[in-house]
Amino acid sequence: MSTFIEAWQMVLAPDVLLAILLSAIYGLCVGSLPGLSATMATAVLVPVTFYLSPIAAIATIITASAMAIFSGDIPGCLLRIPGTPASAAYTDEAYAMTRKGQPELALGICLWFSALGGVFGTLSLIIMAPLLAEFALSFSTYEYFWLAFLGLMCATVVARSSPIKALAAMLLGLLIACVGIENPAGTPRFTFGFTDLLGGIEVIPALVGCFAVAEVMRAMSVPEPPQLARRKFGSILAGQWKLTKEYPKQQTRGNIVGIIIGVLPGAGADMAAWVSYAMAKRFSKTPEKFGTGHPEGLIEAGASNNASLASGWVPSLLFGIPGDTITAIAIGVLYMKGLNPGPTLFTEKASSMYALYIIFMLGNIIMIPLGIIMIRLATHILRAKRYAIMPVIVLLCAVGSFATGNNLFLVVTVAAFGVIGYMMEKNGFPVAALVLGIVMGNMVETHFITSLIKSDGSILPFFQRPVSAILAAITIGLLVWPLAVWLWRKRPQQAPAAA
Amino acid sequence: MTELTRRHLMAGAAGAGLASQLSAPAIAQAFPARPIQLIVPWGAGGGTDATARIVGMLLEKEFGQPVNVVNRTGGSGVVGHQAISGGAPDGYTIGMITVEITMMHWQGLTQLNPDSYTPLALMNEDPPGVQVINTSPYADLKALAAAIKANPGKLKASGTGQGGIWHLALVGWLGAMGLPANAVPWVPSNGAAPAMQDLAAGGIDIVTCSVPEAKAMLDAGRAKSLAIMAGERNPQFPNVPTLKEAMGIDYSVGAWRGIAAPKNLPAPIAERYTAALRKINESKEFRDFMSARGFGVKWADAGGFAKFMADGNAAMGVAMKAAGLAKSA
Amino acid sequence: MNIPNPIMGGAIAVLGAAAAYGGSLLPPVPGQQVGPNVFPVLIGLGLVACGIAIACGIGSSFEQPEEVVAAEDGSHAPAETAPPPVPYGALKTAVPPILLLFYALTVDSLGFIPTAAIMVAVTCFALGGTVRAAIGLAIFAPPAVHLIFAKLLRVPLPAGLLPMPW
Repeated sequence: MSTFIEAWQMVLAPDVLLAILLSAIYGLCVGSLPGLSATMATAVLVPVTFYLSPIAAIATIITASAMAIFSGDIPGCLLRIPGTPASAAYTDEAYAMTRKGQPELALGICLWFSALGGVFGTLSLIIMAPLLAEFALSFSTYEYFWLAFLGLMCATVVARSSPIKALAAMLLGLLIACVGIENPAGTPRFTFGFTDLLGGIEVIPALVGCFAVAEVMRAMSVPEPPQLARRKFGSILAGQWKLTKEYPKQQTRGNIVGIIIGVLPGAGADMAAWVSYAMAKRFSKTPEKFGTGHPEGLIEAGASNNASLASGWVPSLLFGIPGDTITAIAIGVLYMKGLNPGPTLFTEKASSMYALYIIFMLGNIIMIPLGIIMIRLATHILRAKRYAIMPVIVLLCAVGSFATGNNLFLVVTVAAFGVIGYMMEKNGFPVAALVLGIVMGNMVETHFITSLIKSDGSILPFFQRPVSAILAAITIGLLVWPLAVWLWRKRPQQAPAAA
Repeated sequence: MTELTRRHLMAGAAGAGLASQLSAPAIAQAFPARPIQLIVPWGAGGGTDATARIVGMLLEKEFGQPVNVVNRTGGSGVVGHQAISGGAPDGYTIGMITVEITMMHWQGLTQLNPDSYTPLALMNEDPPGVQVINTSPYADLKALAAAIKANPGKLKASGTGQGGIWHLALVGWLGAMGLPANAVPWVPSNGAAPAMQDLAAGGIDIVTCSVPEAKAMLDAGRAKSLAIMAGERNPQFPNVPTLKEAMGIDYSVGAWRGIAAPKNLPAPIAERYTAALRKINESKEFRDFMSARGFGVKWADAGGFAKFMADGNAAMGVAMKAAGLAKSA
Repeated sequence: MNIPNPIMGGAIAVLGAAAAYGGSLLPPVPGQQVGPNVFPVLIGLGLVACGIAIACGIGSSFEQPEEVVAAEDGSHAPAETAPPPVPYGALKTAVPPILLLFYALTVDSLGFIPTAAIMVAVTCFALGGTVRAAIGLAIFAPPAVHLIFAKLLRVPLPAGLLPMPW
């Protein structure tokens, strides 16, 4: 108990509280700029943490990253420009709500369920960290392969267009992921002699191009849409409480899936959001409403997204294995400040550990008031004329993508993906499936090939290990089920034609 | 990447004017007159980035001019290394070069090699260790080596991508024992952390990443380190023997990081840098930071660094050819 | 720019075939059962299959027409009648990617502020903004973006012809 009180004293120090507040505002602002990722927001903070006390340093990282992930939803919802690959899963849904005149509701969902997901994720971190870590450590490449495969299958579930076109878009994404030298063989592929292509195509510029640039291109040939009717919303939160009661199952499922996926190193918020959105659609009573501005998928994916963020800290804190790029940076800061990850952090430095938990909770709680202010401010964008907003977006696309690697080739990448995204959209190919392919391509290939090396070419371990057997069964079941249903439905229709 | 800006031109003109009037030490004293760019060829948040940022911060104090750390990523490090060597040799563009500069040209990925730079100082080197799972039947390195010899190809190792530095460390160690590269097949991974995780999950048998990278898993009692491939023990892990102590093999290798400038940097400026970097290398802040992260501190001045790179470059060529990784052009 | 299904499918199939062929040329790697060639070949063949299916029109029954979403409270979206086409719409579509290429090519020599100002003004004008709006935006937006990125986020934006005072 004394350590708990000590922890509160550490967190309530004025410098820590100020650090939390400032980094929260910082995270919200940076995350809301299209093209700037939460990773970058966090990386820029590292030199600042040199000057801070250990707890304040960690507090800035935790708060800024959580805020940036939430506010990445803002441009996605208002302008159809997702800030992170995670929000790409549900961008179209949120944007559809905006077009229906409910931007506050859509953003409110993102905010409220993100915060709740974050709280649940933190609770899981507090209560079951050792258990979850044990689970994460039981995952070898065989299990990861099935998991990545499952993630890819979400592409066809989520899409609102023809499954063949969704599949084609996803394969194109996988092909793009093949470019470069970052493959298990370390062989340059499809680089055509360009040094810039050696490292492969980065996800963020591709994402920005496919969504943001393509959106501006569309705006060029379509007349300005009518102004949204100015509707006064009462409390953003009141509506959320109603939704929380209406969709308890979706929310719980999102939290659980998020926690499980988040705890696995290498499978982070991106996959959690995709899998949860696909699950929401599959188990929904009204799947046809998905994509037209329906809250169900947003709730599940939003909850899952942030729950995975918190549980992603479990392997980082216990074993120093980063769950994603953000925790990789955080581990560096932990070491620097003498809070070395490992079991001793939980025993010898227990008060610091409790302080981290408290900061997680505080961060997710102050996200709500600060987020509401941000939403109120951001929705003004919708009332501005298109010719005033779009030019700034083009500029941000250029600078934001340049900033991810300080390399002008990234700007060329954005332009190219703008054209690809525009053409795909026009011809009924889901752009989100392309992004999913790019994100997951390397993971599927790496785990497949490394598994084969480890098993000396035998595919038995893919089905023999207990967890991988379960995942394999789910995958094959999901693969065969819709095909069977489709064939079943097709039969009576085809019979007369054949006769 | 020639950044011919007006400010550059003016500074250049001022520099030229000064050079004609003043002696060499005076140039060095007038340097630096404006912010310095320190290029990092790897992404933000990694070990190289962290090392560069602490060096940049201390350099800023030393010179009284801002030092901007810029992550130039892309092309698996090639793009950033190219940006360093292609910068103007005026001292305002420097960079942190890494061990990959002695490897990439053998693979035919780039023309750049250690000769493409003006070396300034070597700041860090981390030797690889030989890590196994804590429940492993091999109590020491000799037992492990015997198992590899008895059953070539059975044990699998990991730690980085195909042809990465830890892969070559393994190949080099096997070679020193007189074994072929395929005695322990390499399982490529996206860095040391996933490899350590797979080690704990029972997927692989050996991880040859650096000991600091394995530290958290070692502390957690999930893995044990049998030896390090260095000349002497790491003071932070005094119980881990060197290869020589463990089995009498004299083989050492390591991932290193150093500061370099574009080729043909004027000698006075280079000397100024090397002096400042020596002070930083010996400073308490740098040492504390590096030991907190578990990184090894190493020092070599410009001449020593050049020789260090030349030796490493030749050794890498041998190891990469043995592993079939060098491009047979 | 709607491309008919047979052409689109054909293009995808050709791309897939090229990828599969290009992938099959990659050399195997010692110590790996499955080399770097396998995935590109698999993906390429998958694309060929998808391309043929699209060309034959399989699966197009699933496609839903792009609908103007009606507001949930029952009021219809106002844009029911076909809007008048934007003059030179197809040409203007190419403006954003061309401007991005322009940025990549000129920012190092012109500097960030002038390049950004040109981009902003052209985009604004192409979208039907007045000359005054275009110029106003070109004067205010680039320095604001420069302040955020160069000063706060320390992104090295080239100063060029017009360095900023901060």
